Amino acid sequence: MEKTSSTVDPFRFTGRTIGAMIAEVIESENPVSSVPWKPLDKPLKEARVALLTTSGVSMKGDKPFDMERERKRPTWGDPTWRAVKLGAVADDVEINHLHIDTSYAKRDLNVALPMDRLKELVSKGEVGGAADTNYSIMGFQGNDPLRVVRESAEPIYEQLRDERVDILALAPV
Amino acid sequence: MPRVAAIEHPFGRPYGDVDDVETQREVLASTLKFGVSCEEPGSIEHLQFRWHEDPKNTKWHPPEPAPIIRLMKEQLAKKRS
Repeated sequence: MEKTSSTVDPFRFTGRTIGAMIAEVIESENPVSSVPWKPLDKPLKEARVALLTTSGVSMKGDKPFDMERERKRPTWGDPTWRAVKLGAVADDVEINHLHIDTSYAKRDLNVALPMDRLKELVSKGEVGGAADTNYSIMGFQGNDPLRVVRESAEPIYEQLRDERVDILALAPV
Repeated sequence: MPRVAAIEHPFGRPYGDVDDVETQREVLASTLKFGVSCEEPGSIEHLQFRWHEDPKNTKWHPPEPAPIIRLMKEQLAKKRS
């Protein structure tokens, strides 16, 4: 692991074509006028943390994210969400995502949903606790990026509240 | 998005590479520490991690083109024909 001192280039790995497409989408969106804000009222070593990934993870036995519909309708992305149990490893889950190489997360789920690393930080006393439930959504949302917010944000929030989670770390893939 | 920890890692592996326990843990710890320390909405932290491979040697693309990419290529081809 090499550390650097610079500003992150968000397009370092996209290549020119995809980078230009993403930049165009970002520029076409309305700027956010207000950002919700809730400072944490306790130190990290007392906080309960949950993780969320956009990599299309579902527990085996649960309904997987819908790739067939996206294949038929390329401008549609699955707006639903899945609960991922703390302690699940790659063999316990399915990963469905048509925009990335999922083989890495299928070998080591921690590359996208680092539940093992979270448990280690709890053991070291750096984090107060790990939530029993972690979360996955589908990163690609097609031409209605807010559909996932309308359909999945509230039930995820309710589960977080019920499990008394203080911090949700969302990692897009 | 109340606060953002940005990182220069390839798609699919935001926390680090397969079995790179140290990087995965440091990225998560750095993200959480920033999350609790920043004092205003919209704060962005540029995490200082450098991916171990050059972008041109880093594989992240899916085995088949994503449906939207396939559609856009078809539309572009139609436009050109």
